[in-house]
Amino acid sequence: MPEDTAVEVRDARKVYGQGAGAVTALDGVSLGIRKSEFFTLLGPSGCGKTTLLKLIAGFESPTTGQILLHGSDITFDPPNLRPVNTVFQSYALFPHLSVADNIGFGLKMQGRPKSEISETVTRMLALVRLDAMADRKPGQLSGGQQQRVALARALAPSPKVLLLDEPLSALDLQLRKEMQIELKRLQIETGITFVFVTHDQEEALTMSDRIGVMQSGHLLQVGDPRTIYTRPANRFVASFIGESNFLTGTVDGNVFTLDAGPRMEVGQTDGAPATGKVTAAIRPEQIRITSATLGDGIPATVTQTVYFGTDTHCRVALADGTEITVRLQSPASGDVGLHPGSEVTLKFEPGALILLPKAA
Amino acid sequence: MSADPQVTAAARRGWWLSAPALVLLAVGATGPLLIMLVYSFLEPGQYGNVEWALSFKAWFNVVMQRDIFDGTLTFADAHLSIFWRSAKLALLTTLFAFLTGFPTAWFIATRSPGLRTALLFLITIPFWTNLLIRTFAINQIIRNEGFLNTFLLWTGIIDTPIVMLYTDFAVFIGMTYVYLPLMVLPLFAAIDRFDMRLLQAGYDLYASRWQLLRHVIVPVVKPGIISGSILVFIPALGAYVTPRILGGGRNMMIGNFIELQFGQGRNWPLGAALSVVLLVVVSLALIVYTRFATGSEGKSHG
Ligand SMILES: Nc1ncnc2c1ncn2[C@@H]1O[C@H](COP(=O)(O)OP(=O)(O)O)[C@@H](O)[C@H]1O
Ligand SMILES: [Mg+2]
Repeated sequence: MPEDTAVEVRDARKVYGQGAGAVTALDGVSLGIRKSEFFTLLGPSGCGKTTLLKLIAGFESPTTGQILLHGSDITFDPPNLRPVNTVFQSYALFPHLSVADNIGFGLKMQGRPKSEISETVTRMLALVRLDAMADRKPGQLSGGQQQRVALARALAPSPKVLLLDEPLSALDLQLRKEMQIELKRLQIETGITFVFVTHDQEEALTMSDRIGVMQSGHLLQVGDPRTIYTRPANRFVASFIGESNFLTGTVDGNVFTLDAGPRMEVGQTDGAPATGKVTAAIRPEQIRITSATLGDGIPATVTQTVYFGTDTHCRVALADGTEITVRLQSPASGDVGLHPGSEVTLKFEPGALILLPKAA
Repeated sequence: MSADPQVTAAARRGWWLSAPALVLLAVGATGPLLIMLVYSFLEPGQYGNVEWALSFKAWFNVVMQRDIFDGTLTFADAHLSIFWRSAKLALLTTLFAFLTGFPTAWFIATRSPGLRTALLFLITIPFWTNLLIRTFAINQIIRNEGFLNTFLLWTGIIDTPIVMLYTDFAVFIGMTYVYLPLMVLPLFAAIDRFDMRLLQAGYDLYASRWQLLRHVIVPVVKPGIISGSILVFIPALGAYVTPRILGGGRNMMIGNFIELQFGQGRNWPLGAALSVVLLVVVSLALIVYTRFATGSEGKSHG
């Protein structure tokens, strides 16, 4: 295991229940999370994100597999013996304690001296900008303030890893954006490893150093946001993160022939078969559209345009009936000049086409 | 919380609708107390009742007693010891009811909804039977020839019956049995509202199981503990039936002693004065207890 790994998950499987009603929440997940990184687990609801966090926090133990923290096996350590803290989705603040006592709770349970506790609490209050709220009860705080108390409480004992289970999902959009920035700042300032769970792909892309994409108990791809977005490992990742159009065709070396007719060069082909039928993905914003029907490119017919403000989404049909979406920047007039029935040609850079591996 | 001021005002204007209840409450609650207070300053009648003449003798007799033979004044330590025994038994009952009631309430609150309803129903079943009958039933169990001793003798664990009836222990057991539901129900209500996710949060923040109980569960369900304790302590302190049947004549509690003054003792003013003392003691105990128990938490919410 490399020196800089904070958490290592080795082939973890988690099955809830037994017999006919058993649910496999994690199906052989292996993962290395680096020290001091902002790592995000991204996936639809029910894919096993919370379960994976619970294995790391110690609320559940894996059916098979191992969890290592800074190199030592913690698979069966109870939560109170793991230097790992969690920010719960429901915050779970202690209603009978003041903000300051909530933040100091972990240190108090560890039996740290009073002076150290009050010093750390003061520092944490400043870090989450709640100095004025120290004596309030959680019930007297707004949602965003409670969120910050939950963060400070989990950060106060200086855990080796901080786990955050969809911490922002209960906040409204404005507050959510603020907290995203706040979280990122806290992670950089404290240098603590963050493992963040979300089902919001935009949140994952903007905040993370690396993202792990999950689907029904499997970890599909791990990579930095750019790689995940520009080189999705399969069809699921391509459609879950951002939008994608899927084109089917045959590949021969670096020439891709669309089922709809035209052939074109492709940039990367890693992971995809060198010959035969494949699916290719292309992002709606990577396609250029011209009203000229001459020259090379893919001929298509506009079926619908939808105005989104900054963008206009244009649905077009290829010769074989495949419908794809093209995202255009709306011009100053707001009218892209395309109407259902317009004959157009689609073009894109060779590198924009992503050939997907056969499976999934 | 923040109710619509117009709605609140409208609700306030309708207060007179509850006037009959208020009158009944005022008369019903303060009337008997006033009568007791007045009686405590009167002369005892020869065959019970009172003579309408102002006298402080009853109050004097609460703390001092005159020897019937030589007429010397001594401190009325019998009264004090009865008070003390009552307080001790009531406290023990409250404590033991809490120690057994808390796990019971926790158990019920953490069951499935269906089972929970059934268990709560079982808890309330004793209320269907008269207190006197239930207390006699305990008498049947613990007396020398009762079920318990017969069983223990039969198994050979003991060879002479253990004397339990007519001891403080019997009174304590009886009262714990009678008042336990009054502890369990408010505790259940509090535990039912307790957010179990707090346990996960505490466990995550390095608390051991014991620390979770002490620093998270007990403080959060404290309102339930307070009401349960009050509901048990007050009737236990003034208990009459249980000490009478299980404690016999010697192990009197203050309730029996007061009754004695109104009955054979034919000293109504002394009985009245003792009642007032009991009332004051209970009120003071309550004030001190709630102040102490709410402690640091008390200031934030009105
Ligand atoms: N305690 C449990 N008992 C049984 N099934 C569970 C339990 N917790 C989660 N599951 C199931 O495991 C799967 C993964 O759940 P979870 O890890 O909570 O997903 P996510 O957090 O990604 O939404 C889901 O199908 C869920 O129903
Ligand atoms: Mg979840």
